[in-house]
Amino acid sequence: MIKRLLAATSVATLCLVASASAAEKVEMWVRTGVGDAFKKTVEAYNSSHESQVAMTEVPFSELVQKYATAIAGGQAPDALSMDLIYNPAFAAAGQLEDLTDWAKSLPYFNSLSPSHVKLGSYHGRIYGLPLSVETSVFAWNKDLYKKAGLNPEKAPASWDEITANAEKIRALGDDTYGFYFSGGGCGGCMIFTFTPLVWGSGADILSADGKAATLDTPEMRQAINIYRNMVKKDLVPAGAASDNGVNFLSFTNGKIGQQSLGAFAIGSLVTEHPDINFGVTLIPGATGGTSSFAGGDNFVVTKGTPKIAAVKKFLEYIYSEDGQKIMAKYGSLPTRGDIAEKVLQGLDPRLQVGIDAIAVAKTPYTLQFNDLINSANGPWASFTNAAIFGDDVDGAFANAQSEMQSIIDSGQ
Amino acid sequence: MTVSGSKTLLPRRRRARRTGLRGLVYIAPAMALVIAFFIIPVIFTGWMSLHNWPLMGGTRWIGFRNYVRMFHDARFMSALQFTAYYTVIVTIAIFAVAFPLAIFVEKQRRFVSAYRTIIFLPVVVGLATASLLWVWLANVDSGFIGPALKALGWVDKSPNLLATFDSAFLTIIVMVVWKIAGFTMIILLTGLQAIPAELTEAARIDGASRWQRFRHLTLPLMRKTIALALIISVTGSILAFDQFYIMTSGGPQNRMISVVYYIFNQSFVSFNLGYGAALSIALLAILVAISIIQLWLLRVREEKP
Repeated sequence: MIKRLLAATSVATLCLVASASAAEKVEMWVRTGVGDAFKKTVEAYNSSHESQVAMTEVPFSELVQKYATAIAGGQAPDALSMDLIYNPAFAAAGQLEDLTDWAKSLPYFNSLSPSHVKLGSYHGRIYGLPLSVETSVFAWNKDLYKKAGLNPEKAPASWDEITANAEKIRALGDDTYGFYFSGGGCGGCMIFTFTPLVWGSGADILSADGKAATLDTPEMRQAINIYRNMVKKDLVPAGAASDNGVNFLSFTNGKIGQQSLGAFAIGSLVTEHPDINFGVTLIPGATGGTSSFAGGDNFVVTKGTPKIAAVKKFLEYIYSEDGQKIMAKYGSLPTRGDIAEKVLQGLDPRLQVGIDAIAVAKTPYTLQFNDLINSANGPWASFTNAAIFGDDVDGAFANAQSEMQSIIDSGQ
Repeated sequence: MTVSGSKTLLPRRRRARRTGLRGLVYIAPAMALVIAFFIIPVIFTGWMSLHNWPLMGGTRWIGFRNYVRMFHDARFMSALQFTAYYTVIVTIAIFAVAFPLAIFVEKQRRFVSAYRTIIFLPVVVGLATASLLWVWLANVDSGFIGPALKALGWVDKSPNLLATFDSAFLTIIVMVVWKIAGFTMIILLTGLQAIPAELTEAARIDGASRWQRFRHLTLPLMRKTIALALIISVTGSILAFDQFYIMTSGGPQNRMISVVYYIFNQSFVSFNLGYGAALSIALLAILVAISIIQLWLLRVREEKP
């Protein structure tokens, strides 16, 4: 009996050892605040494949510096879900694995999101492939609309309408607010949700070649006025002034009438807050038109990783129909154009608005995105806070304009 | 004479040399630590500061250009200014609270060790942990301070303490005093306890008032202790980082960027390690200068009477 037990355990141990050595564990980092799409895909992959992926979530505002320091210290993960706007800088620094030959051998290579592939390319070689696509959209809470006596099925088409609706929703009571945004120096949140007001009206914050800051335009003044006005009328929770992005998804608490969000948030709302009855539409421009920010992540591989084969296998799974379907269910729009329709079939129709946004969306292209826009202490983050909540709007414009220009100039 | 003199001198010199050697052996472990963890890193930082040294990619020798850049860097100047402002305010605040507390817990009274423990408790909390705790306390909706003020009826609407410079700065000062005052109190307490009771008694017999005893007896005898507490407090304040990073992410509109925060941003956000190193060397020079001045001021006074 004992002998048999011993034999059984030793066989079991052997099996464990064997499978442990066969299964490679790919270390992968992903930023927070992008919903659950990637997390769920990893879970599905791990439960159906022998090789495993270990995912670590890193705060979105610190991912770039953590990854760069990890590379410098030789502790970098095998792969990373990188905000695609940082892709050129890391490729230029020679820290990413060249995926060109393998990528071009994929049968669906030509239908991968072209803007992602473009940002993932450097000097004709490919260092990043699309992982998730996200656009910013405007969401409203239908239940609160109904309570406030508004037509819950009618999407607001202008900021005058949004402000008027916000006032009616605010009138509902103490802790119900008409509008929300993360205004406490969250550059990433504001470029994502607030610049569409300016883009929709035809202006931009950087010149086309990225060499001049063009912050002080009548369109931007108008956009700032819209937000200032809503803050002044107490339509926005006081916490917005110091929210550095932690409470970006405040809409999910059901007490916010309207907010500009991303497609990831649609996924989170649908899957995790099914009680919130909401509609989505394109973000109106400050003086007409509509726009959106096209963002998302590229899949990049750290140069010299020994687990390249396992990494490729995982990426192939993401591009499979199963993988794409899981990603889409949690709000990441399909990265493969050829099967997009099939993937979205049977999923929440509101995701379609996120797809429609791609047609009017913009992505700023600059190597200094972190310094200019995303850094919590960069000029864009402090500008949005100072101009919307501060007392000196002109001063905020002048400071940010000159600081942005000096950062651009120092990088030339 | 000379011969015998040199004969007696020689062994003594040799003995002196031998004890000197033995002394060196005794301090060798400490020296090794200081060299490995302070001298070498400082030299390396100095070396880095003479380069254009990005976090990724190649380095390039640029001489003293990082140091020249520093003097035209408006953001560095405002960081210095803010750090000086913070240091002055917080040091005064800490002493204003710690000194009375030290006098209070020095006298033997009922529950005195309980008081000492309670006042000292926040010191054992990490600064980052304390900052996070206060972020919650100061939260406008789900925190404690704002909603409590509202419940008491002192304000109509719960204020967002971290949204404006003045209220955020006040919150941080209160947090730091709560966190640090206990430590300064303990240092001052040891100084108070070192004053012989006979001196105070003699002064009292001579008819000195309570204020006179404090001004002419306690304060002069505590100079060394005060110097120690002051240097610890000033150095700590100049190196402040956690509370601004965690509680306000640099404050409303970047108005709370301390020098260390700026060095961190330059090194690990903008990836200019070389410039960050140059700023660190400048900060080290400033700290050394301030400490020397403080020590010198307090030593001269000590020798006067």
